[in-house]
Amino acid sequence: MTVLRGLTRFWADRPLALKGLVVVALPLAILLGALVLLYAASNAEVRAEEDVRRAVAIQRDTYQVHALLAEAAAGVRGYALTGEPRFLEPYRKAEAELPQTMQRLDEAIRDPEVRGHFNRINDLTVRKREGLKRIVDLADDPAARRGEPSLIEQALVANKIVLDAMRQEIDLMQRRESVLLEQRRARVDDVRDRFLLLTAISALVGLLGSLAAVYLFSTGIVRRVRMLEANAELLARGEALTNLPEDADEIGKLAQRLARASALLRGREQALRESEERFRLVIEEVRDYGIFALDRDGTVTSWNLGAQRIKGWEAAEILGHHFSRFYPDETRAFLPGEMLERARTAGTAEDEGWRLRKDGTRFWANVVITALHDEQGELRGFAKVTRDMSERRRSEEALRVAREEAIAASLAKSEFLSRTSHELRTPMAAILGFGQLLELDEDALDPRQREAVSQIMKAGRHLLALINDLLDISSIEAGGAELENAEIDLGELLQEVHALVAPVVSAAGLQFSLQGPEQPLIAWADRRRVVQVMLNLVSNAAKYNRTGTMVRLSCRASGRFVRVEVEDDGPGVASAEVPRLFTPFDRLGQQNRSRIDGTGLGLALSKRLIESMGGKIGYEAPDHGARFWFTLPVRPPATKRGARS
Amino acid sequence: MTGSLVAQSEIHARRILIVDDEEANILLLSSVLEREGYGNIHTTTDPTAALEAFIRIEPDLVLLDLMMPEVDGFQLLEAFRRHDRSDAFRPVLVLTADTTIAARRRALALGAKDFVSKPFDVVEIALRIANLLETRILYERLRAGPA
Repeated sequence: MTVLRGLTRFWADRPLALKGLVVVALPLAILLGALVLLYAASNAEVRAEEDVRRAVAIQRDTYQVHALLAEAAAGVRGYALTGEPRFLEPYRKAEAELPQTMQRLDEAIRDPEVRGHFNRINDLTVRKREGLKRIVDLADDPAARRGEPSLIEQALVANKIVLDAMRQEIDLMQRRESVLLEQRRARVDDVRDRFLLLTAISALVGLLGSLAAVYLFSTGIVRRVRMLEANAELLARGEALTNLPEDADEIGKLAQRLARASALLRGREQALRESEERFRLVIEEVRDYGIFALDRDGTVTSWNLGAQRIKGWEAAEILGHHFSRFYPDETRAFLPGEMLERARTAGTAEDEGWRLRKDGTRFWANVVITALHDEQGELRGFAKVTRDMSERRRSEEALRVAREEAIAASLAKSEFLSRTSHELRTPMAAILGFGQLLELDEDALDPRQREAVSQIMKAGRHLLALINDLLDISSIEAGGAELENAEIDLGELLQEVHALVAPVVSAAGLQFSLQGPEQPLIAWADRRRVVQVMLNLVSNAAKYNRTGTMVRLSCRASGRFVRVEVEDDGPGVASAEVPRLFTPFDRLGQQNRSRIDGTGLGLALSKRLIESMGGKIGYEAPDHGARFWFTLPVRPPATKRGARS
Repeated sequence: MTGSLVAQSEIHARRILIVDDEEANILLLSSVLEREGYGNIHTTTDPTAALEAFIRIEPDLVLLDLMMPEVDGFQLLEAFRRHDRSDAFRPVLVLTADTTIAARRRALALGAKDFVSKPFDVVEIALRIANLLETRILYERLRAGPA
C-alpha cells in the first residue's frame, strides 16, 4: 500500500513533459512488442509449413524411388524375357534419377526413425540396383540366356523379394512420415492459433494500456486544472483559496504560485483596508472642518462629524439631499450651480459668505469645492470643505469698526487742528495786519504810540510762532504730520541751510563752519522738515553761544543711518538740565528769557519731527561746548520705529 | 518793477471783490488797498451772496477766504469757474488761515491764481494784488489785438 502510494506520489511529482512522453510511449512500446511477437509467430508458422512441405516431398520422393525401381524391375524382367533393349529404358531412367532422388531424401530427412527406414531403403535400393544390373548382365550374357533360365529366374525372384522388402520398408517409412506430417500440421495449426491469441491479447493490452494512460494523464491534469480554475475564480473574487494540488509538476507549481499570489493580494487588501479605515476615520472625526462629498449633480453623498457640528444635520438626515439647502434664500437660486460650474471648469471654487444651519440660523462660511476626477479624467463628483468663519468674521468686523473709529478719531483730530489753526490765525491776521499798517504809517504816530505798536507786533509775532509750533506738534502727535519723505542728499541740504543761516550766525559774532560729506549722502526724509530741524538747532546754537566763537554743522554716514551734528563752543548745557532739553516749554535759561527769542517748543518739535521720520535726536556734552545730533534712515524703515544707529 | 508796462492808475482803477466772513479781515484788506490807492473795492461777509456779487460786479480780482460758514471758498471757486468758463484770466487770490498743503493744493487746482496764508505781510499782499491785476490787464490787451 505504501509502495503504491509512494509510486503515485513519484508519478504525480514528475514534470508534465515526462508524463506526456510516458503516455505516448507506453502504447507505442506495447504495439512494438506485439509486432515482435507477430514476427516471431509468423516465422514459426513458416518453419512449420516448411516442415510439412518437406514431409510431403519426402513422401513423394519415396514413392518415386519405389516407382522408379518397380518400373525398372518390370522393364528388366521384360528385357530378360525378350531381350528387347527398349524394355531397358525404365531401368536406365531409374539409374539416372535414383542417386539424385536419394540424395534429396538424405538431405530432407531430419527424423531419426525415418532416417533408419531411409538407410534400410537405401541399402535395399543399392541391392535392388545391383540385382537388376546382374539380371541385365545375365540377360546380356548369351550363355546365361541359353542356359537354364533358372539363374535369371533366381535373380528375378531375389529381386522380387528385395523389392517387396523395400515396399515393406517404404510403407513403414511412409507411415512414420504420415505421423510426422500429422504432427507438423497440428503444430502449424497450434502456432497459428497461438499467434492469433497473442495478437488479440496484444491489441487488447495496447488499447487498454493507452486508454488507461491517457485517462490517468488527462483526468489528473484536467481535474487539477479545474481546481486551479476554481481557485483563480476565488482569487479574482478576493476569497480564500480551497484545497490546492500540492504536486511538484508544473500544475502543482502554478497552484503554489497562485496560493502565494493570493496571500500577497490578501495582505495588500488588508493594508489598503486599514489605510482606508484610517483615512475615513480622519475625515469623519475632523470636527473643525465640514468635509463631505457631492455627486455630479450636487447631491450629498458623504458627511463628517465637522459638517454635522457646523451645520447641525446628522448624516442620515442630509445624505441624498441637494447641497443647495445650505444656501440662504438670496443666493440659493444661483450660487450652488455657479460654484459647481466654477469647480468643474477651474478644478476648484472658493467662496466666503452666509450659509444656513439646520435650525435656519446663519453662519459665515469659507467654502472650497474641489472637482473629483477618476483616472480617465471623468468627473465623478465634488469634495466640499466648509469652515465656520463666524468667529473670525466677528473679530474682523470688530477690528474694522475699531479701525474706522480710529480713522474717524484721527480725522476728527485733524479737523479740530485745522479749525483751531483757523480760529487762532484769523485774529492774528487782523492783529498783525493792522499793526503792520500802523508801523508803515509811523509818521502819523507819536513816540509812545510807536513803542506800543512795536510791542504789539513783537508779542503778536511771538504768539504766532507759538501757535505754529504748537499746531505742528499737535498734528505730529495726531499722526497727521504731512511728511513727504523722499531720497534727499544731506550734503546738499547742509549747504543750503548753511547759506540760509550764515547771516544770523555772523550777526551773533560767531564763525560758522560746515563739514559736508565727500560724496552725496542720501537719507529718507521730508526735506522741508529736515531743514526746519537744522534751522532750529543752528539758530539755537547761535542764540545760546554767548561766550564762544563758533558753530559747526557736519554730517556723516553711520551704518544704516545718516548722522547730522550741530556743535558750538558755548557754555553748553548743565548736566542736570539735559533730561528736560526736549520737553515742551522747558526752555533753559529762563532767567535770560528777555534776551533770547523762541517759543520753547523748538527742540520738542524737532524731536517729534525726527522721530516721525524714523530717526533719533539727542544731546551730548563734548569737553566744552554743546553738541546736538540727529539721525535719519538711509532707506524707508520697514516699521514705524527703525533700528537704532 | 511792473510800472513800466501798466500805469499804476490803471491798476488802481480796477474792480476788486473781497469775500471774507470776518469783518476785521475785510477792514484790514480794504485799508491796505485804500492805502495803496485802489478805489474800486467791493466787499461781502456773506459767502452766499458772493456769487451774485461776482456776477453783478464782474471784478478784475477776487480776494477769497476759504473757511466760511454755509458756502466755503472751495465751492465759490468752483462756482466762479463755472460762471467764467468763456472769459479768460480773471484771477482769484485765496487767503486762508488753513496752512495745510492739502488746502493750498486744492485751491490752486480749482483755479486760484495765488495763495496767501493768514496772517500775511501787508506789503507782500499789496504787491501780489498789483501783480495779478497787471497780468490781467496785459492779457486783456493781448486779446484786444495789437495795440
